[in-house]
Amino acid sequence: MVERKKVEIPAGAKVKVSLGPEESFPFDISPMYEGERIRKQDMFVELGGPTQVKFELVMALPMDQVEDMKVTVVGPDLDEMEEGKAYPYGMIYYVAGSKIETDLEPVIERRNHDFQNYIQGYMHLNQRYDIWIRISKDSVKKGLKSLAQIAKATMMLYKNELPFIEKIEAVYITEKDLVEKILKEVAMPIYDERDKRVEMLHDEDVEEFYSCTLCQSFAPTNVCIVSPDRPSLCGAITWFDGRAAAKVDPEGPNRAVPKGQLIDPIGGEYSGVNDFAKRESGGEYSKIKLHSFFEYPHTSCGCFETIGFYMPEVDGIGFVHRGYPNPAPNGLTFSTMAGQTGGGKQTIGFLGVGVAYFRSKKFLQADGGWYRVVWMAKDLKERVKNYIPEELRNKIATEEDAKTLDELKEFLKKVNHPVVTGVVRPVDGKKITEGWKEVVKEVPPVAKPVEVAKPAEAAPAVAQPAVQPAVVQPTVQPVAIQPVAPALQLFQLPQPTVAPAGIKIIVKDAKITIDKVIIRRAEKK
Amino acid sequence: MIIAVAGKGGTGKTLVSALLIHFISKKNSKLLAVDADPDSNLPEALGVKVEKTLGAVRELFQVSRDEMGTMNKEQWLEGKIYEVVCECDGYDLLVMGRPEGEGCYCFANSLLRGILKKLMRHYDYIVVDSEAGLEHFSRKTIDSADYVIIVTDSSKKGLTTAKRIKELMAELKINVKDVFLVANKVNREAMEKIKKFADDENLKILEFLPYDEEVVKIDVEGLPVTALSENSEVYKRVKKIVDFFLEVVA
Repeated sequence: MVERKKVEIPAGAKVKVSLGPEESFPFDISPMYEGERIRKQDMFVELGGPTQVKFELVMALPMDQVEDMKVTVVGPDLDEMEEGKAYPYGMIYYVAGSKIETDLEPVIERRNHDFQNYIQGYMHLNQRYDIWIRISKDSVKKGLKSLAQIAKATMMLYKNELPFIEKIEAVYITEKDLVEKILKEVAMPIYDERDKRVEMLHDEDVEEFYSCTLCQSFAPTNVCIVSPDRPSLCGAITWFDGRAAAKVDPEGPNRAVPKGQLIDPIGGEYSGVNDFAKRESGGEYSKIKLHSFFEYPHTSCGCFETIGFYMPEVDGIGFVHRGYPNPAPNGLTFSTMAGQTGGGKQTIGFLGVGVAYFRSKKFLQADGGWYRVVWMAKDLKERVKNYIPEELRNKIATEEDAKTLDELKEFLKKVNHPVVTGVVRPVDGKKITEGWKEVVKEVPPVAKPVEVAKPAEAAPAVAQPAVQPAVVQPTVQPVAIQPVAPALQLFQLPQPTVAPAGIKIIVKDAKITIDKVIIRRAEKK
Repeated sequence: MIIAVAGKGGTGKTLVSALLIHFISKKNSKLLAVDADPDSNLPEALGVKVEKTLGAVRELFQVSRDEMGTMNKEQWLEGKIYEVVCECDGYDLLVMGRPEGEGCYCFANSLLRGILKKLMRHYDYIVVDSEAGLEHFSRKTIDSADYVIIVTDSSKKGLTTAKRIKELMAELKINVKDVFLVANKVNREAMEKIKKFADDENLKILEFLPYDEEVVKIDVEGLPVTALSENSEVYKRVKKIVDFFLEVVA
């Protein structure tokens, strides 16, 4: 962790110090000024912004190191600035309080934007190293002459609105070299550290997840649950975004979902999430497992960036992203699969996920995570390459390795992908798949049409070579034969091919569940 | 006050918008011009160059959001939007730009709505050059309009579009105070036709603009509307519209 300490102000720097709270301000302070745009022609000066070096930073320090309501301005102050010019800007706040820890720094820092925008004639935009401030001519006319006045007003708001801040001190810097130096040596390492913490933050570390129902307008039963280990499937919302939105509008589309009891630590099932999902989906479903592909998977709205599809033929999962136009090895395109999966349903065999979910430590952990992934569109694989366990990076095929199931089978055998011999899921070391059974070639993949009494097209029956799932398509009802887990209600699209009647179907080592088979004589036209 | 100008392409909608902006800006610089028609070229008609659009920012947001770590996405987007607002002489200009690409924009648009709402409440006048489909109103990226000006010529298509816009307004439940019609490029004969149309559709005619050689000329040469001479009939009549909004309505 980056050490938190006061920044060093070089000897000889131009320094102005102001102590204690301000009696009155020459400007109004109110939330109504939020969003106020100070136009170039009304602007006295610009601080930071597109052309200057800039940052804002909050650091938590021990109580005895913070001098409450002290402001230090380093570099030219407002009354020494030239009208119409832009200046570098660094804002540092030291905060202390018995409840304040480093974790709270970003939460406090974010409020600088809100509070400073309450100040009339002061525009604050963006955050961190992107801040952009403008001060209006009007304010200067009304008596604003020092940045210390701005700092005092901001600190006052901080203490009023966030009472856990017991002491606060500010250092505002307009001296270019110093802004640059502190940005590089102190602020950037702290921002990086915070972002790394995102990857370190897990479902078990928080009390609440957040919901997202932005998509309910077109997927009425969809409820996205956003947890630290599972960003939204549209890729837009992380747990941090959910928290920020829920704070602003607790009844809005992002609401807090208390986790409740942990029911299945591996699948990621929580009683609070189940209750919420049941209520918000109008009873459409009662369970959601956050990190499972096959059992009570998360619903998919239609917004997902990528779609995962189970291929029983290889007992593995493939992923294709929205931008990939060609059919995946299962013969289906993104849009075909999306059409089947979207709309806020729990569809076993297909799952919409956001690209950011591939970074998750809990990525499909109930089903073996990366060890169950056999194919990815190349662009997608490139984007998330660094998150694939090293030993698997070359074992996951792309369209360059395999375009069809047969090519995929060959590839997986060649690289000895875990699905071939059986997947051991890393999370608990349990072997979850049996691996492929011996391949029996009793039926050639394409049989020659045989003369039959009935016209061939009247009796389309599809059969695939023995071992792996055969999809039989009688005239009416498509029937899926699944070799894998008997409990699964696998969704199968009817295969478009029409094979001639009169071939032998051999299914070995398979458990078959069939709800209904209807065989009818084809009606003569 | 939000004034939306809509109509079929080619009817002179952007000409009217640009002139409205031109005249209002002379009286009040708390004016935001919004180009909400990807097919129009309001900046050109105003004689300004705009490099970046809101659409481009939204696309940038879509591709960079994974890398934002714990940053606040709303603040990020707001900062970028304020950057693309062009500060012109006497008014600000926001170009909405191209429509969404593929993928999910629910979150981006939800943030946008909040940001634009906050931004817009600080202007006294907002003039929106909108395409006939009123996309930004239907998506609520632009919250509402107080007045809608439908620009039409005397063509059947122009009038049909005008009628559809009016119906769409009702469908979208945009809480407008009034819907007006401005007829452009009309001769005496067409005037009667349009009057009847306005009567049938219960639309108030704000002004008839005559066919104007000068307008054609600046159009051909790609000059801004400010190049119109003050004696031009179109110039004078749009000025009257603005006076109406500035005085009578306000």
